[in-house]
Amino acid sequence: MVENTQLVSLTVDGKKISAPAGTLLIDACKASGIEIPSFCYYPGLSLQAACRMCVVRIDKMPKLQTACTVPVAEGMVVTSESDEVRQARKATIEILLGNHPLDCPVCDAGGECELQDMTFTYGAAESRFMEAKAHKEEQQWSPVVFFDRPRCILCYRCVRVCGEVMDVWALGVQNRGVNSVIAPNMGDHLECEECGQCIDICPVGALTSGAYRYKTRPWEMNHVGTVCTHCGDGCKTTLGVRRADNGMEIVRGDNRDKSGINGDFLCIKGRYAFDFQQHPDRLKQPLVRKDGKLKPATWDEAFDTIAKRFNAIREQHGGAGFGVIGSTRTTNEENYLLQKFARSVLGTNNIDHHRTADYPAFAAALAGKPEMAASLRDFEKTPAILLIGNDPTHQHPMLATAIRNNVRLHGAKLFIVNHEGLKLRRQSKAYAHIPKDGYGKFIAFLGGDDAVASALANGHTNREQLMAMREMLRGEHQLVIVFGAEVRGKDLETLVKLGMSHTGVKFACLGDYANSRGAADMGLYPDLLPGFTPLADAGDFAAEYGASLPKSAGMDLEKMVDAAKAGKLPAMFVVGANPMARYNVQLGELKNCFLVVQDMFLTETAAMADVVLPAANAYEKSGTMTNTYGDLQIVRPAGDFAGAKPDLELIVRIADRMGVAPQSLVPFGRGTRADMGQSRGAQSGEADRHAIWMVAQGIEPKVSPFDPQALLDEIQRLVPGYGFSRLNLFAGNDVPTHTAGKGKGAHQDPELIWPANDTLFTSGTLGRYSNTLNSVVEAHEGKRYPTQVETD
Amino acid sequence: MVISEKLDRFFTEKMPEYPTKRSFLVPMLLYTQDELGCLTDEAIAYLAKKTELTELEVRNVISYYSMLRTKPMGKFHVQVCTNISCQLRGGDEIYEHCKHKLGIGHKQTTADGVFSLEEVECIGACSWAPAVQVNYDFHENLTPGKMDKVLEDYRNRK
Amino acid sequence: MSVLKDIGAIAKGMSITFGEMFQPTVVENYPDGPGPFKGAKFQERFRGLHVLQRDENGLEKCVACFLCAAACPSNCIYIEAAENTEEHRISGAERYAKVYNIDYNRCIFCGYCVEACPTDAITHGHGFELAAFNASNLVYRKEQLLMPTPAPQLQR
Repeated sequence: MVENTQLVSLTVDGKKISAPAGTLLIDACKASGIEIPSFCYYPGLSLQAACRMCVVRIDKMPKLQTACTVPVAEGMVVTSESDEVRQARKATIEILLGNHPLDCPVCDAGGECELQDMTFTYGAAESRFMEAKAHKEEQQWSPVVFFDRPRCILCYRCVRVCGEVMDVWALGVQNRGVNSVIAPNMGDHLECEECGQCIDICPVGALTSGAYRYKTRPWEMNHVGTVCTHCGDGCKTTLGVRRADNGMEIVRGDNRDKSGINGDFLCIKGRYAFDFQQHPDRLKQPLVRKDGKLKPATWDEAFDTIAKRFNAIREQHGGAGFGVIGSTRTTNEENYLLQKFARSVLGTNNIDHHRTADYPAFAAALAGKPEMAASLRDFEKTPAILLIGNDPTHQHPMLATAIRNNVRLHGAKLFIVNHEGLKLRRQSKAYAHIPKDGYGKFIAFLGGDDAVASALANGHTNREQLMAMREMLRGEHQLVIVFGAEVRGKDLETLVKLGMSHTGVKFACLGDYANSRGAADMGLYPDLLPGFTPLADAGDFAAEYGASLPKSAGMDLEKMVDAAKAGKLPAMFVVGANPMARYNVQLGELKNCFLVVQDMFLTETAAMADVVLPAANAYEKSGTMTNTYGDLQIVRPAGDFAGAKPDLELIVRIADRMGVAPQSLVPFGRGTRADMGQSRGAQSGEADRHAIWMVAQGIEPKVSPFDPQALLDEIQRLVPGYGFSRLNLFAGNDVPTHTAGKGKGAHQDPELIWPANDTLFTSGTLGRYSNTLNSVVEAHEGKRYPTQVETD
Repeated sequence: MVISEKLDRFFTEKMPEYPTKRSFLVPMLLYTQDELGCLTDEAIAYLAKKTELTELEVRNVISYYSMLRTKPMGKFHVQVCTNISCQLRGGDEIYEHCKHKLGIGHKQTTADGVFSLEEVECIGACSWAPAVQVNYDFHENLTPGKMDKVLEDYRNRK
Repeated sequence: MSVLKDIGAIAKGMSITFGEMFQPTVVENYPDGPGPFKGAKFQERFRGLHVLQRDENGLEKCVACFLCAAACPSNCIYIEAAENTEEHRISGAERYAKVYNIDYNRCIFCGYCVEACPTDAITHGHGFELAAFNASNLVYRKEQLLMPTPAPQLQR
C-alpha cells in the first residue's frame, strides 16, 4: 500500500522523524518510539476514530486531531504530549468511565486492560459524574463468548475484526449515542466461526472467553510460545499455564504479541481446543494386557514386556516382523527418531503414517528448485494466488485469513478452482466451480487442452468463464499456486511444471495435521528416507546409523493393517495414530499381532493394544514442527500432565530395554561441546552457565538421551533441506525449510492419501477430547462433510 | 412475498439509481414500513437479501433510526413535538394532554389499536408551534382543546 | 558516712521492689484466661491469623480477584475462582473463591494482602497460635479462615 513511496519528514515533540507518504500519524509515531494511546485504532482494520484517545496537537490545524486518521505530511509539526492533549485524553477517559463499572477485581481483563492502563497513565480515576451507572446483565452469546455490556467502550474493534478480517460479519452496533450496543447476529446469541478474535481484540473486559473465564488472573499465568497442534498451518500460539494438581494446566491460548506467522490470528482450535490436555480420560499410567484385559502396570513392567517381545520377534522374524506407524502430531525429532528406531533397531522399512497430501510428489516436482516452495508468509503480500481444491476457511484458517487480508489490504487477485462453493469465493477475482473429479482435467485445461473444457463446464461455471480465467491467469507473475490433496501424483507434477512458466511463481501443498509435513519430511514412508531420500541413496544415513539399513521398500499403512488382520505381522508399534479407527478394524480382528500403542487416550487402536504407554502431547514437550508450507517452528513445553511422558523418551526407553545404547539413537553429548562448554576442568563453569541460560530460554541442555535438540543436530546434518538458521528458530521465529527432493521421489499410491476433511470444529481423534470444541453449536449443525472419517 | 409485487418491482427499478445497493436501504425500509405498518422479521430477511447485507446489518440500521420500528403501532401514529419552539409554546402540555386523553405513554398503542403516541424531536413546523404530526399529516397551532378535536376527527375516521 | 549513704541507696532501690510487689499484676493470664485467645490481649493493629470476612448478608466478601496473591511477597496465597450461580451464591459479585489457601509456613504477616484487598475481604485477626508438628497442617484452607456465619437474623 505504502511501498516504494517517498519518505515524508515531520516533527513530533521536537523530534525529527520520517515515514513513507501515506502512513498514518499514529503508526509513524509508533515506529519512531513515540506511543500515542488509542482504543479504537487497530493496525490492519478500517479507521473508526471513535474513541478520541489519540488526539494530538498539529500546528496550523484549528483543533486537536485524531492521529489515527491523519496521514503524515511534509513539514508537519506535532505535539503528542502536552497539558492540553493530556487534559483532552483525561476527559475522554472520564466520560468512558461514566458508565464503565468499577469491577476490575472480578473482570477477566483486569491486569491487562487497556482502559485500566490509560486510567493509570492519565489519572482520571476520580469521576465527577454522580449519576447512577447504567447496568445490564452479562450475556452469554455462545459457549465461548460472553458479553458484559456496561464494560464496553464502543471502540468497534470487535465489529471490524469480525467483518473485515474474518469476513463473518456476525457483530454489529445497534441503537445510537449512549444507547449504542454491540449486537450478535442471532439476536441473543452468536453463530459464527467462533474464532474468538473479538475477545482477543477487545481492549477492555466486555467480551470475555468462556474457556478462560474466571480461571485465573493474567499475572498468575506463565506464558509459553509454542505451535498449535491442530491443523497444518502451524500458527504460533502463546499458552497461558497455571499450576494444577497434576502438573501445569493450560488455561488460555492467544497470540497477543503478534509474533509468528499468524500475527494475532487464531481460530477456534488454536484459541480454545487445548483442553484435551486436562481431559479426565487421559491415560495416567501404562496399561499391559493380562488375561485378555488391559490392566494398569508400572513403567518397568510395560517396558520389559515390550522389549522382551520385540527382541523375540526380531530374532524370529527379523525386520519383516514389525510394522511401525508414526504420527502427524508429534515433533520432527520424534518422527525422525521413530524412523531411525524402525530402520536401525527393528531393521524394517515397514513404516508409514496417515498421509494427507502428496508431499513426495511435491518434493520431486520441485527438485532442484527449493526456492519455489511458498512459505505461509508469501501469502501476505503476493499479488496473485491460485487456489486449487481444499477449503482453507475450514481446513487452513490461517491461510484463509492471510488470503483475505492480502485481497483486502493489498488488492491481491485470488483465483479459485473447487468442486464446492467456498466462502473465500467472496474475495475471488475468478471462480471455477468444477466437478469433484475434474481437478486433473482442469490442470490439463490450464496446460492448453481446450477439449476438456466442455467436460469441466457445468451449471456453475461455463466454458467462457473458464477460458477467461485461464487468460487472466496467464498474465500473472509472482503467482502463488496452492493446492489441496485433490491434486496428487501425475496431476501435481503437471501443475508444477505448468506453473514454472510464470516468473516468480511459488507453490504450496496443503496437508492436514500439525506436523503432517514433518512426518513426511522425516521419512515416515516405507520407501523414502528423511528428506524424501530414496532408499537406494541411503549413504549418509547408513553411515550415521552405523547399521545396514533394510534395502527393499516396506509395507505401507494399508498393507500393514491388512497383514496384521491376516495374522502375518507379529508386531506393530503405533505412535500417536489411530489407524484402526480409520480402517474400521474391530476389536479382536487383529491376529497374532503384538500391538504397542503410545497415545494420550484409549483410542480405538489403543483399546486393541497389548501395551499402551501414556504419551505427552505437543503442548507438553519441546522440539520442532514443520507446517504444511515447510516453515519450521520451535515447540516448547507449556502444559504438564503427571504420568505421561513424551514420545521421544518412550522410544528411547524401549530401545534401551532392548539392549540398544541410547547414544546410537540420540547423539547426546556428541559433537555438541561448542554449545555446552566444558563440563570438566577449568572452564567447567561455562557448562553450568550455559545450562542455566538454556533453561531460561526454554531449551533443554543436551545432556540427556531425551533431549530433542541432540536429534535436531542430526536432522540438520543429514536431512536435505533442513539447513536452516538456528538463531532464528530459537528466537521463536519461523524458518523456511526446503525439502525439495534430490531427484525423482518414489511414486506414491494416491489411494493412500486420505484427507482429514476436518472443519473448523473438528480435529480428528484429538478433537473428540476437546470439550470446548464440541460445545459450540456450529460443531453439531451442518457438518459439511458427511463422509468424514475420524483419524489421527 | 412479504411486500406487494408493486413495491418489489419499484425497488428493483430504483436500485440501479443508487451507487451501492445498501445506499437504498433506508428508503426501502420506510416504504416497507408504510406498507406493512412495521418492519417484521420476514421483511428484514427480504430486505437483507435484496441489498445483499446480513440481517444483522439491516437491524443495526433500523435500531439507529427512531422512526423505524419493528413492532406495529396504532393506525394513527400521533407524534408530538416537544423540541424548543413547540416546548416554548406549550408542546409539553399537548403531549401530557394526549397521554391523559389516550391513556398511553411514549411509544405505546391504545388497546383498540387506533392510536399510538410518540414524543418526537423537531418536525420542522416551528413557525406554527406547537405542532403534531399524525402519520404524514401536520396539525398546527394546537391547544389542548384543538388537540381533542384532532383526535376526535381521527377516531371518527377509522 | 558512706555506710549510711549505701544503706540509703539500698533502701531506695528496695522500696521500688517492695512497692511493685503490692501493685496489681500486669502479666496476662495466658493460657488460662477466658475467650478464644485464652486471656492473651493484643493491640488492635496486631497482625495475626487472617480472617475472611462476610458482608451484611452473610455472603463472602472475597471475589477471588487474586490481588492478595499478587501482592504477597512470599507467594503463600493460593486461590481458585469459580462463578456464582443463581442457586449457588457464595459471594456478592460474579465470582467467588472456590479454594483459598494460605500457607502459614511461608506467610510473613506483612499485611500486604489486607492492603491490596479491594473488597476488605481479607483481614488480619488476632489468632497467633500457629504451631504444628506437621508442616502440611499449616496450609490453612478457606473453611478455617472464614468468619463463622453470623447470627441467624442476618442470614439470607
